[in-house]
Amino acid sequence: MSTTRRSFLKLVGGASAALATRLDSPPAFAQAGPVKIGVLAAKAGVTAPVGESGLRGTQFAVDRINTAGGIMGRKIELVVEEESNPKDTVERFRKLALQSKVDAVTGVASTGVGLAIGPVAEELKTIWLAWDGTTQKGVEESMPKPKYSFRSVDNEAEAVMASILTARHFKGKIKTVAGINNDYSYGRDNWAAFLAIMKKFGMGVTPVADLWPKLGETNFTSHVAALHQARPDLVFCSFWSGDAPILLKQAHAAGLTRSTKFVMTTAGGVHESLKKDFAPEGMILGYNSMYFEAPGASPLLREFTKWHHAKFKEWPNYESDHAYFTVMAYKAAVEEAGKGAGKWPTSDAVINALAGIEVESLSGRRGYRADHIMECSFFQGISTHKNRHDFVTIDPVEVMSTKQIQKPSGMGLYDWINSWKA
Amino acid sequence: MAQSLNIVLGGVFHAAVLFLVAAGLQLVFGVQKILNLACGSFYALGAYFGVSLVSWALGAGLPAPLFVLVLVAAGVLLAVLGPPIERLLRTIYDRDESLQLLLTFALVLMFEDVIRFFWGSAPHQLAGAVYLVYGQLTLGRLTIPVYNLIVIAAGGAIAAGMGWLLIRTRFGRIVRAAAENRRMAEALGVDMGWVYSRVFTLGVALGTVGGALVIPATAAVNEMGIDLIVEAFAVVVIGGLGSMRGAFAGALVVGILRAVAIATYPEVEMLAIYVIVIGVLILRPAGLFARAAT
Repeated sequence: MSTTRRSFLKLVGGASAALATRLDSPPAFAQAGPVKIGVLAAKAGVTAPVGESGLRGTQFAVDRINTAGGIMGRKIELVVEEESNPKDTVERFRKLALQSKVDAVTGVASTGVGLAIGPVAEELKTIWLAWDGTTQKGVEESMPKPKYSFRSVDNEAEAVMASILTARHFKGKIKTVAGINNDYSYGRDNWAAFLAIMKKFGMGVTPVADLWPKLGETNFTSHVAALHQARPDLVFCSFWSGDAPILLKQAHAAGLTRSTKFVMTTAGGVHESLKKDFAPEGMILGYNSMYFEAPGASPLLREFTKWHHAKFKEWPNYESDHAYFTVMAYKAAVEEAGKGAGKWPTSDAVINALAGIEVESLSGRRGYRADHIMECSFFQGISTHKNRHDFVTIDPVEVMSTKQIQKPSGMGLYDWINSWKA
Repeated sequence: MAQSLNIVLGGVFHAAVLFLVAAGLQLVFGVQKILNLACGSFYALGAYFGVSLVSWALGAGLPAPLFVLVLVAAGVLLAVLGPPIERLLRTIYDRDESLQLLLTFALVLMFEDVIRFFWGSAPHQLAGAVYLVYGQLTLGRLTIPVYNLIVIAAGGAIAAGMGWLLIRTRFGRIVRAAAENRRMAEALGVDMGWVYSRVFTLGVALGTVGGALVIPATAAVNEMGIDLIVEAFAVVVIGGLGSMRGAFAGALVVGILRAVAIATYPEVEMLAIYVIVIGVLILRPAGLFARAAT
């Protein structure tokens, strides 16, 4: 089921309006009107499932907050705009900040869009909590020491973890590797990180092909033929949206999944599309920051999964967690900054509270470093058909913290990788 | 050798689908002199409707091997959109080309919302098993899905059928006469409204059948039509505006060139296509087969 913008706003706004002000919420804030949070979410194309997932996580967070009385007595009202190309999305960000006068903006999944939004958030002095899409390349230029922007995890984190698992599971079993990654900074950064880590671990692998389909490509017949020609032992792929199942389907139909190992760093973002019909067992599959069937899942994750499946007839994926976390982090920061002040805190106070904050999210404790970068846990594992679903899941489930797989603040990725004791 | 064949087949598979969309574009331009950007939307609509109809049919107990017939039926059924859209386009037949492009692009945007309204924003796909219901052909180390060969054959058959229709039938002669000289055709008693309506409907059907046929191998996404229309224009420029043979040759050039570029030097995937486009524009500005609707 998909959430239309209108029904989504009606649901959240209506719920907010319908709920009577609780007796325990401070009346001064309750009368100050709702807190407006802007959301930028993809609604079309192969990235639509990711945007939809983020909206669902946002909805779950806002429902919980509003039911509990809002943030310092003020209910949250969402203003949802579409994430599309960088130029148009920047215009929508401006609209949110200047016209809708939102208190903060969350959202954005695409790296290209994220890099365009960063400088505008600083210019408009509007807090922006990215879900995703702030990969390393270009960040130094477009978001040096950001004040208002709070970045996602450095995107190479999933590539770093997948590379570590590749070394752990496949060392000595592979001689040649090929990459198929989207032709933009995220895809190229992932592939470069993978090759650097293969070298660091002394894997002795030779890259035999690197393919760069554009984001949104839906026909990989020629790419699969090129992979066949290259005859790699392992294919590394950082697809994170609707293109991941298409690639696997076409690769499987061409017999490529029988002879070649696959590493899909982030395909867990569209896990329900990875049907057993074509998604093989034995590939490394990444779910980023939330795995819906994580062993020892918290009560919160269990509640969210139950809610999500009941409402949408689907099992949730990681973008919901990114989105849930950004709303909860904002709430916690406002409450921290406003504690004892007797009034709604200033943006500067909220920003100070956000840097270094830690809250309970769907995947466990998550936070922001002092340099405004997310910290969380990543979930990856080996794909299996042994489950109750018609799609693959992972077993065993490996969990790594960003403290292990994300470069330290102020350090270059490759300097950091080279400093490892492999 | 086998690897080269595999790469060429990948290109021809893409070319087969591209030909259907480009053929619709050519047919409508050849007769009505309208560059119809919305032919990409018909391709996307065919894909979405194909997923829905096949999923419903399989759920209702249709034997899996018959799904390809349902896909073709989905495409043909959607041709019902042709007459009302053609009626709308009649308002701009004699207007400036820029207005025609604007209106047909407006249709593209409207159809994107129509797709969102009926199917939502998430990609739609058929179960992977459907794609492989006809099995795979193994040649040494190569495995080729038989469905890909069916799509290639369908593309070829439709090309041959279009040739037969336009050259061997009374309807084809009328269409060619209308394309060559509309006023003379009208003076001879040809009902141009009737011709336009049927030609446009045929153009819609080519796009919708193309979209429906590609869907087992891929997924339906909202922008798929826009992506393809850009390549379809390259096909049209190479083949020559209004030429069906040009659409066939242009689609093969674009499809195979793209596949070879991906396999050898992926960075030039699009550049290679447009180098050919520029070359054709310089050496044969009217395209390789520029003759109206033949």
